[in-house]
Amino acid sequence: MDQAKYAELFRTEAREHLAELDATLLTFEQDGDSARVPEYVASLFRNTHTIKGMAAAMGYRGAERMAHALETLLDGARRGPLHARDALLELLFDGTDALRLCVDDAVAGRGESLPPVLIPLLQRVSAFSHATDDQSDSAPDAPHHDDARHAHAHATVSAGVPEISPGAERSGRAESAAALVERTVAVRLTADCPLKGVRAMLVMARLESMGSISAVVPAQTTWQDDRFDGAFTVHVHTASEAEAIEQAVRGAGDVARVVVAAPAPRSARDASSEALRTVRVDRRRLDTLLELVGELVINRDRLLPLAEEADTSAGRLLSRAAHDTARLISALQDEVLQARMVPVGHVFDRFPRLVRDIARDLGKDVQFVTEGREIELDRSLLDAIADPLVHLLRNALDHGIEDPSVRRTAGKSPSGQLVLRAVRDRSTVILQVEDDGRGIDRAAILRRAKRQGLVAESVMELDDDALLHVLAAAGFSTARAVTAISGRGVGVDVVTTRVRALGGTLELETIEGQGTVFTLRLPVTLAITRALLVRVSDATYALPAAHVVEVLEYTPGMIVTAAARESITLRDEVIPLLHLRERFGLPRRPDDSYVAVVESGGRRTALAVDALLAQQDIVVKPFDAMRGSAPWFSGATVLGDGTPALIVDLGSLT
Amino acid sequence: MNRTVLICDDAIFMRTMVGDILQQAGFEIIGEAETGVQAVEKYRQLRPDLVTMDIVMPDMGGIDAVREITKGDPTARILMCSAMGQQALVVEAIQAGAKDFVVKPFQPSRVLEAVNRVLAA
Repeated sequence: MDQAKYAELFRTEAREHLAELDATLLTFEQDGDSARVPEYVASLFRNTHTIKGMAAAMGYRGAERMAHALETLLDGARRGPLHARDALLELLFDGTDALRLCVDDAVAGRGESLPPVLIPLLQRVSAFSHATDDQSDSAPDAPHHDDARHAHAHATVSAGVPEISPGAERSGRAESAAALVERTVAVRLTADCPLKGVRAMLVMARLESMGSISAVVPAQTTWQDDRFDGAFTVHVHTASEAEAIEQAVRGAGDVARVVVAAPAPRSARDASSEALRTVRVDRRRLDTLLELVGELVINRDRLLPLAEEADTSAGRLLSRAAHDTARLISALQDEVLQARMVPVGHVFDRFPRLVRDIARDLGKDVQFVTEGREIELDRSLLDAIADPLVHLLRNALDHGIEDPSVRRTAGKSPSGQLVLRAVRDRSTVILQVEDDGRGIDRAAILRRAKRQGLVAESVMELDDDALLHVLAAAGFSTARAVTAISGRGVGVDVVTTRVRALGGTLELETIEGQGTVFTLRLPVTLAITRALLVRVSDATYALPAAHVVEVLEYTPGMIVTAAARESITLRDEVIPLLHLRERFGLPRRPDDSYVAVVESGGRRTALAVDALLAQQDIVVKPFDAMRGSAPWFSGATVLGDGTPALIVDLGSLT
Repeated sequence: MNRTVLICDDAIFMRTMVGDILQQAGFEIIGEAETGVQAVEKYRQLRPDLVTMDIVMPDMGGIDAVREITKGDPTARILMCSAMGQQALVVEAIQAGAKDFVVKPFQPSRVLEAVNRVLAA
């Protein structure tokens, strides 16, 4: 059987079931109606069961084991009355995350066994099943008896794990007998509490007087350690009510927070993996957070100059407060941006399969290598860049890398190399698609470009930049004939448009017979960027500061004419001059203006503007709809005083 | 009737300070001790509602004094006065029967909080 093909199917389908599990769990958690519990449990059981079956068929033991444990847990919940609803939900949420990890691992080729980090969770799940099994064993012909036995086998492994004890489960029901209930008491001491270890001891002494302690996390032996931060959890079997416990704990002094829960397996979290310590956050939340931070950043930039102007003593205090606030806003901005960062591996991991399939369809022999998977990029950027990368990879496979026989004739290894690489370079991330194929046929592209009137007849050769320019011209690249003659073209305009919309640049380097490199340079985050604000006529425009090399006062003497273009000389370098007024369809204004020298795609251009306003952070609001209508803007922003400003796409001007 | 306090510290400065804090809060200072031995003697003699106890004192240390006092009166309410870095000694004092602790330098509010906790228990 074609393992690879089925692996992809497995992943897709397993993910659907996992998504359904998530959705059901969320509804289950929020729905207090116990009448609908069987419905939820049945749905969860079905999804888990299907994943288990598929995993078993693929030989993915890790996913199978995890799914099996969850299935057993759900089976118990299906058969008997529901105990410890919250603890069950908690386990199911964690279990679903764990299962997702197993599925990803399996598809990545590590499916033979359960990841070791998940073993504590598996034991918790099994221990829980064991506890509920004890209660429902009286059912005469319980189905899935195998499953129950299996769970027992695991439960022996977990003997001594104190988190969930069957006794605690039962005592929850037997309140009339005033039996002891296991309570989890989570305590956090105040940050300024001196000798936290001793204070914690005093808390313990009070809890000991109320019942018997079954577990303490972290262990008391570590309390005298400097690293003890004053947060600890005590499991106590007690007849006291939650309020009484809380009051007693608070009475010990310096207690910032007490949470009394009955009975919950939370302490097991310490043993579980990093992956399970994360929380799910809706991405729209992150977007909103970022937008709010963006507004804060704008206001920070309004506030600081105002605070500087105040020179009374109150003003100086205000200024200091404003600076402190500004610093905090910057820190907040960093954190929010960081929370949105995802390793590019998330997208890169999709490609080995894709490359393999395309190469096979084309009859090519390709070694695909990814580098820099750990490099991080803003989530929304990463999503947006996936398609362009597919285009570039597809092109490299289709038109770049030759058939094995052709390669052999050319004295190359029959197997082609295709590299997808991520590199961090200051505030940008570079993504490269590199092949060692035949390169781009410049002469063929030039002929075609002349026929279409994209290049003057006088041009003798296309350099890399000009080549990319031609390829990216919308009408050109979609022409089917070009693909047939020379390769390349299809999709390059799509790639350029997308990359520019993201505030990035695309570069091309190709050597005939040796290969081609496409280089995408992207900002690490598209949301907030530093910009030089300039005025042209009565409107404000933003130039991405990362591309601004230098600003000069405009003097007529700096103008030279080179290659029939108006240019300026800057330390012996001749740089083409572009009047933004002209570009925007306005009359030129010769006097008292400024020149901003910008660099894009390795080329410098001098932009004449009316005035330089400020350098500041701006919040980028990208727009897609502008394609074709105003190609020299990549997005818009709103300034502190509420006026809008368009962001100039420097790549489009040169 | 005001609650009565015995202050045990070998430094006059500290005794004065603790005394002022407590007096202002309405406590009656009925005795002071400069050594552990004195502390034990005065406790037997005065039976105060509360004892503040320094850890390091000549003659007999604060921890031994706590042991002696609680041997004679298990209900004795003793508040340990410790410096930073004496965590292990405070642990020992609590195990010996002290009810709570405050850490120098003293903040009046913290001292009073601790005193009230000890008296409420």
